[in-house]
Amino acid sequence: MSTPKAEKDLHLPLSRVKTIMKSSPDVEAVGPEPLYLVTKVTELFVTDLAKRAYKNSGTNVLEYKHIADVVQEDDNLDFLREIMPRKITVRQFKELMAKKAARGERSDESSEDSSEESEESSSDNQD
Amino acid sequence: MAEKLEDLNLPLTVVTRIVKEALPEGVSISKEARTGLAKAASVFVLYVTSAATNIVEKKKKKALTGQIVLDAMKDIEFDRFIEPLTQSLEQYKQLMSARKSGGKKKDDDEPEVIEDD
Repeated sequence: MSTPKAEKDLHLPLSRVKTIMKSSPDVEAVGPEPLYLVTKVTELFVTDLAKRAYKNSGTNVLEYKHIADVVQEDDNLDFLREIMPRKITVRQFKELMAKKAARGERSDESSEDSSEESEESSSDNQD
Repeated sequence: MAEKLEDLNLPLTVVTRIVKEALPEGVSISKEARTGLAKAASVFVLYVTSAATNIVEKKKKKALTGQIVLDAMKDIEFDRFIEPLTQSLEQYKQLMSARKSGGKKKDDDEPEVIEDD
């Protein structure tokens, strides 16, 4: 059977979405209806994320940091936080650490966070 | 099956096209932003898939259905996508049934294979 017309309004390739879905260990088969919907909702998602990032950016150039900001601020986007960290410079990182030290924070969580951030900052070092 | 690692990513050019259509004309999108959005979209596919398979398991369903994908939206708190998605599902179902009644071939058990254009 050929591809139904309803799928013509999709941009993303169904075959690729199917491959990604099947890479999940719990998925054996994907029927055409759930495949269509997952593809559709992924397009809605990317549109929504881009629009929000653009709205917050206040510029005419959409940059990585605009998207990372939305991701880090919306709890529903928690699943993206690890793949889209905020990038900071070493100077910002040091300021952040100084502030933390001043407040005398020493929870385990914050020390974990800071080690992640320092990795990021070393790759994005501008100082 | 995924043969190469790139097969687990959505194509950058297609994601960029979707984003460009969503934003006002003249807005430029940095390369890093494009890659980031494509990556986010790919991870989203898996996120939705796992939310949906959770429902399949919990409710002891046999297979993934369109309705389960819709229910999964609620679980991951993307309720705002439910309405547009329900509309899409309706359109899709209408088209499929129109095709079935219009075509000579009867609906058999043979799973439908969807190929790329």
